Amino acid sequence: MNYINSILVLAGIYLVLSSSFDLIIGYGGLISIAHPIFYAIGAYTAGLLAIVWHVPAIPAILSGGVLAAVASVAMSLPAIRVAGDYLLIASIGFQLGLLQIIKNVEFTGGDAGLSDIPPAITGPSRAALFAAISLSLGVLVVLLIRWIVRGPYGAIITAMRDDELALLALGRNVTRIKVVILAVGSGLAGLAGGIYAFYYQYLSPSQFDVLQSAAILTMVVIGGMGTALGPVIGTFLLLGLPQAITFLQLPPSVMAPFQGILFCVLVLLFILVRPQGIIAARRPHT
Amino acid sequence: MMLPILAQIFWTGFANAAYYVLFTIAFALIVKVVQLWNFAQAGMMGIAFYTMYTVINFLEWPTWAAFLIGVAVTAAAGLLVEFYGLRTLRRRRSSNLMFFIFTLIFSELIAYVLMFLFGTEPVTLFPSILSPVRIIHGIAVTDWDLTAIAVTSASLIAVWLFLQFHHEGQFLLAVADNGRLAELYGISAQRAYLVAFAIAAVFSCEGMYLFGTRAAVLPTTPNDLMLFAVIGTLLGGMGRLFAAAAAAVVLALVQSYSVLVIASKWQGLVLYGFLFVVIVLFPRGFRLPGFRARRAIPAPTPAQAKV
Repeated sequence: MNYINSILVLAGIYLVLSSSFDLIIGYGGLISIAHPIFYAIGAYTAGLLAIVWHVPAIPAILSGGVLAAVASVAMSLPAIRVAGDYLLIASIGFQLGLLQIIKNVEFTGGDAGLSDIPPAITGPSRAALFAAISLSLGVLVVLLIRWIVRGPYGAIITAMRDDELALLALGRNVTRIKVVILAVGSGLAGLAGGIYAFYYQYLSPSQFDVLQSAAILTMVVIGGMGTALGPVIGTFLLLGLPQAITFLQLPPSVMAPFQGILFCVLVLLFILVRPQGIIAARRPHT
Repeated sequence: MMLPILAQIFWTGFANAAYYVLFTIAFALIVKVVQLWNFAQAGMMGIAFYTMYTVINFLEWPTWAAFLIGVAVTAAAGLLVEFYGLRTLRRRRSSNLMFFIFTLIFSELIAYVLMFLFGTEPVTLFPSILSPVRIIHGIAVTDWDLTAIAVTSASLIAVWLFLQFHHEGQFLLAVADNGRLAELYGISAQRAYLVAFAIAAVFSCEGMYLFGTRAAVLPTTPNDLMLFAVIGTLLGGMGRLFAAAAAAVVLALVQSYSVLVIASKWQGLVLYGFLFVVIVLFPRGFRLPGFRARRAIPAPTPAQAKV
């Protein structure tokens, strides 16, 4: 039962990550792959606040979300000022740079990772409670993003994605819209990081590297970018896939790259054969 | 007392810049001709290294054969990427986002395949990476340093001669300047893209050979190396191949000298810091004061353009 609850906790976390990433890349059309580093900022902030200052779980998780949002502003403001593709390159540098800092400073535990994070919830139903919290947060985030994109601000976001110049001509502050989208998406990723920290009680820098970016991207692309339901389907499909191939009983050293190969092949197939993903957006991404 | 140390750091940094220059030229050439941030280059670099590694260590064939097979396999991978991937996306008028995802995921796929096949232990091309050393005016100069500088210099001269004097090279420049106009003159942009990928494969293979005889490689190492090429290309300015190469040399020297002021574990961070500074301050590349870009070489006349 604990195993199933663990999967459900992860499902909730990845629901938040993929949906918030879809807000950035699918609805906003902003090419950034630094999402896992905001997830990491949230996780490390929550973990460190709990360890060092004994901050309770909820304010620690919220602080992680806020710090992740602030960090995204620090990353995006200089890069967005220049032009579209520069954000992508800046995001790669930002992610790798911050990961290097996390790996090399002592207070984060360095390469060995951050351990001894307090459990926040104890008792026999800990895993079930975490699963409920994580999934609830996931559903809330999906609904929140659906609400944002269906409202007037969502119309502006998609208008910016479809024709930035036209939106500029209408007198809209495109830079501010981009920064806000990134901050909201990254802040939500930070919240997911907080849940992760308190559930697993251990953080390692390798959990937040570029390969994590590929996993989240896979969920969004396969599910369908720019749709509320797409990342949900992508998340469950990609979390279910590793369970489906466990019958092969491959050693862990082989299993991880094998899963990666499957994910990447799926993405490439979808990009070349069905770029709109399983759920097609109203405006297909060609 | 300090001068010999500075000179040694300069020399080592300059020699190490050799493979960075090769990766940067490969990356900048695709940016220039194909107008694409080719993140698939990391995958091609991984293919190049592990092909040579297999031929040398498992088949026990000579180095020259390993290099030629490495180039052939890498070029084939590049052509596959262009032919089956990028061409499909181009035909579909896909957004930049799709090109980016495709090239990035291609590199990730190759990294996973290499992990699956070769594991995650670092490996070198040869069992030993030690190279004979001689002391010249107090500076330790290894055979590897001289080989790296010679190979890179020869490659730069070769690509310059190719672009300036060979009709295929001139076609590349024409497509880079204005693809549609070049096609009106009868130059095949598709062919130019394939040639650019083939040249990038040669440079990637040379670079990985040099790197793999100097340091250990993991399946994910090419991703870090490619970032250097990205920064060099940005700093040099889009479409300015040799300025990008010069930028790579400067970056390598800055990284080398940084050991004087910061611990070696933070050297990578210098690179990422550079990335940010370049994007914010020099998004169109760095130009020396008073330096004016040379006029672009005009596309060949229809009479010249026989494809």
